[in-house]
Amino acid sequence: MITAIGVDIGSLTTKAVVLDDKKIVSWAVLRSSEKTEFSARTAIEQSLQKIGLDFKIGLNIVATGLGSKTVTFSRSKSLTACLARGSNSLFPQARMAIDMGAESSTVIRINERGRVTDWQSQDKCAAGTGIFLEQMAKLIGVSMSEMDELSFQAKSPPEITNTCAVFAESEVISHIHRVPATSKEDIVAGIYRSILGRIISMCKRAGIQREVMATGGVALNKGIISVLSKELGFEILVPENPQLAAALGAAIIARETAGEKA
Amino acid sequence: MTTNNKLSSIVQSCRVIRKMSQPGPYQKSDELYYQNLSTYYTRLLKARENGGFIAAHTVFFPAEILYAMDIVPMHTEMTTWLMALFLGEQAELLSAGAEVGLAAEICSPHRGLAGAFTRGYLPHPDVMLWSNLICDNTAKSGELVMKLCNCPGFFLDHPFQHNNEEVSYLVNELKSMVRFLEEKSGHKMNWDKLSEIVARTNQQLALTNEINELRKLVPSPFAAQGFLKLLLADYLFPGQPEAIAYLQQLRDELKDIVREKNLNPSLEKHRLMTLFIPPIYMTSYLDRLYLKYGAVSVVEPMFTKWTKAEFNPSQALKSVAEKSYVIPESHVMYGPLNENVIKYVVDSARDYQVQGAVFWAFLGCRHACATIKIFKDALNEAGIPMLAVDCDIVDPTVNPEEEIGEKLERFFELLDEL
Amino acid sequence: MTDTTIISPNNLPEIEYFHSINRAFPGNSEIMDFKAQGKKVFGWLCTYVPEELIVAAGALPVRITGYGRETDLDDGNAYLYINNCSFSRSCFQRGLRGDYSFLDGVVGGSTCDGARRLFDVWRRYINTPFYQVLTVPRKTTDDAQALYLSQVISFKQNLEEFLGFEITEQNLLNAVELCNETRGLLKKLYELRKRLETPITGAQTLEILTASFRMPKASFNAKLKHLLVALENSPVTYKGRARLMLVGSVMDNPEFLQSIEETGGLVVTDELCTSTRYWSDPVIINNGEPVINAIAHRYLSNFPCARMYPSEERFDRIMALCRDFKVDGVISQIIRYCVPYAHDVPLLNDKMKAAKIPLLNLDVEYGSSGSGQIRTRVQAFLEMMEAHKK
Repeated sequence: MITAIGVDIGSLTTKAVVLDDKKIVSWAVLRSSEKTEFSARTAIEQSLQKIGLDFKIGLNIVATGLGSKTVTFSRSKSLTACLARGSNSLFPQARMAIDMGAESSTVIRINERGRVTDWQSQDKCAAGTGIFLEQMAKLIGVSMSEMDELSFQAKSPPEITNTCAVFAESEVISHIHRVPATSKEDIVAGIYRSILGRIISMCKRAGIQREVMATGGVALNKGIISVLSKELGFEILVPENPQLAAALGAAIIARETAGEKA
Repeated sequence: MTTNNKLSSIVQSCRVIRKMSQPGPYQKSDELYYQNLSTYYTRLLKARENGGFIAAHTVFFPAEILYAMDIVPMHTEMTTWLMALFLGEQAELLSAGAEVGLAAEICSPHRGLAGAFTRGYLPHPDVMLWSNLICDNTAKSGELVMKLCNCPGFFLDHPFQHNNEEVSYLVNELKSMVRFLEEKSGHKMNWDKLSEIVARTNQQLALTNEINELRKLVPSPFAAQGFLKLLLADYLFPGQPEAIAYLQQLRDELKDIVREKNLNPSLEKHRLMTLFIPPIYMTSYLDRLYLKYGAVSVVEPMFTKWTKAEFNPSQALKSVAEKSYVIPESHVMYGPLNENVIKYVVDSARDYQVQGAVFWAFLGCRHACATIKIFKDALNEAGIPMLAVDCDIVDPTVNPEEEIGEKLERFFELLDEL
Repeated sequence: MTDTTIISPNNLPEIEYFHSINRAFPGNSEIMDFKAQGKKVFGWLCTYVPEELIVAAGALPVRITGYGRETDLDDGNAYLYINNCSFSRSCFQRGLRGDYSFLDGVVGGSTCDGARRLFDVWRRYINTPFYQVLTVPRKTTDDAQALYLSQVISFKQNLEEFLGFEITEQNLLNAVELCNETRGLLKKLYELRKRLETPITGAQTLEILTASFRMPKASFNAKLKHLLVALENSPVTYKGRARLMLVGSVMDNPEFLQSIEETGGLVVTDELCTSTRYWSDPVIINNGEPVINAIAHRYLSNFPCARMYPSEERFDRIMALCRDFKVDGVISQIIRYCVPYAHDVPLLNDKMKAAKIPLLNLDVEYGSSGSGQIRTRVQAFLEMMEAHKK
């Protein structure tokens, strides 16, 4: 018997998670459309269809992310609150979560009850995000997963000094066209390092407290996690489906607040 | 004349605000507040024609001395803030400051005040007085102003630590300053008057402490950001009847509110500690935002919370020196930041049953921002989350209003969730 | 006027040595060897901390500096915030990351906001056994001298308590002699730079200067003496398109001067916390005066930092250096968020204008290598000066 649904509307993808009274029973990830409500609905429908159910009005749903307040069939909760609850559910020992999404990254401090006690976010600049990584992969002429594998083979990564995505792009181009050209693996490693500089700054500004976990689509890149762990000096915990953390948190909140008005 | 126009504008703005005042629990004290402001700037406006002697001075300066010598004080930073608030002419002032050669990293009120002198927004004073209380910016403002206004000046060296020896040094500095002022102004120091001022300072502090005690109540009887008005008393009218009148009125209003149980507890959702002060130009915006979320600033240890202190009127000069160490900014922000000070801030948060703290990270104020981590960690240890908001006190281009508002909203949500 | 400076290493082994000491700092061999003998090392910040007292206590005074190059300052930013000068952030980060873990003590003064907050945050987050911040008045009146003297005396007493022995008058006298010897030798070094063709570049001079507070003075003095002999009659000389003076607060990266000098200008003198402000004034002991009084007097009345009042004194000293070293142009490098020096800019501009000395104002970050935009601006500055001469 499903009890709650959480949906996280991102700029690139929309994620839905369905819970019963104990665990996750279904989930779905879709490319977001321009219409928020449509994205949310479609993601929920897909996740329900997987377990043979249909969408209907009156389901217990909490939405989070972009435009979540405008979704008519759900209550809405802030992204950081959902992230914190979802993270806490995945790793109860986590006191910090680094969320790396398509267009923004956020670092949150979490207490033992899964509440946010502090956050630092970065959404003005593209560097440090999924979209930037996609662009860089295209530039170098590899797929995202190829790029990630390459990062482990770097020998002497150059310093990509520009943290601004626009300038970083031209730096990368100059590395490609250099004679002799910087190797692909070195370029990738350089990009990774410069992206994560911003993330590390946010972590320090928030005050690093272990355990630290990673969430968001970008956390699927093992190379990124490897570099991040190295920079911080300890292993970062990564759940199996890091991109679902916020949707999971939304669902948990929905389950707790069943029956409450928006 | 431009100068008189700008000062007149402040006076006129005060008049208009008083005329427009709505009935409410703080109506009378608000009126007094604007009347006092008006008094201050009218006095300044008329100083020349009345044969008055104008002494410009930096913030946290012992203006008691000036009042005792019948010298017209001109608070440079406060006036720059007010111009930002009332006239919205920050851009003009700041670019004038830049033209004079002051770097963008210099605190905006100080860039602004240099600009204010070059543009004729402020009358040229007869003397410029400045001290190193509380930072490098105040310590270095004076010489440029002396040059721009072609006037003599005196730098009051306020020593770093609070002990007998350093207080003696300060007293000697004050003596030198008095001699300087006597020579330049032709006015003699009226020691009896100074003693009276010290006696009134005791009253002023007692009243402020009474008000702050009342603010401890849950819910707090004071306006969400009412503390901004508390600043005026000591900045512009230290030990003066105007300060006493205002504080008495406010204290009575708060007592009335408490007695008549005119408070709706459900309206107070978030009791906040404010560290440093919010952008002056955002006052109305923040009032509305705080109201919407039921947020109230109940204690401000850096600016308006005074410790208990009483000074001896018969040792007037020493009292003025001692008082300069206990003003909140001096107590928390000057001198070594040791365990006592940190504990004082955390205890204040507990005493006032604060749920969260907001630190206004004014990017021009480096010594304040350097305390962010220390206070955040200490408050976090006590279970109190703290939000740091990057901003500028007078320059709205540094961080847009909406973004600041958004951050605050998220913080209020965070507090809700906790 | 059309001569261009020949920048080539003149293969002086002492400079190579100093360079290696600087590169390895803070864990360089001189400091580590000193510690290995069971002796104590005290880190100090600012020219208002009397090194003589540390020396008199049998310990090694070492100036706290940052990385000496531009680098990520994540920890510095998190603890001191982004708007404190990169120097204070860099120093703190080194401290936090353990680079200064060998220090037995840190000593500072209430000199500027960056410095005092550095010490506040240091005290909270880094465990150094001995810690003191001196009140440093901003004036040099008799009263101020008296206050500062009592601070220095309290420093001495705290040191004695910490170390468990008395610092005698003789100890102080010996310390003064040693430090004065360093000052005298550095003065001799600078005298060489007064020549029309100097045996040493500005970059090399800074290498020497920065080593002077990163190793025991006796060892430093011995090496410098040797070097001075070699330089006195050096066959290699330098002459620039223009004789330049560098002014500002902290500068400990010779690369910066190298970048400037590669444009053809020759830095013949400077006014920096790490150069003339550090060594110019000797301790002078008047007859019958307690040595500690003489020390305190020297340090407060020293070649002033921009924090001191009146700023006229600092400007007078800069002008004197311009005259003595026949300076053609002055380059001011101010670290972003260095407030005291930033406030002096309009006043110094006027002074230089009145004296008809060209002045270039640069905004830098601590550790800047002087490349890129900075070098371009210096280039333009030199061209402007040359065009003017024509």
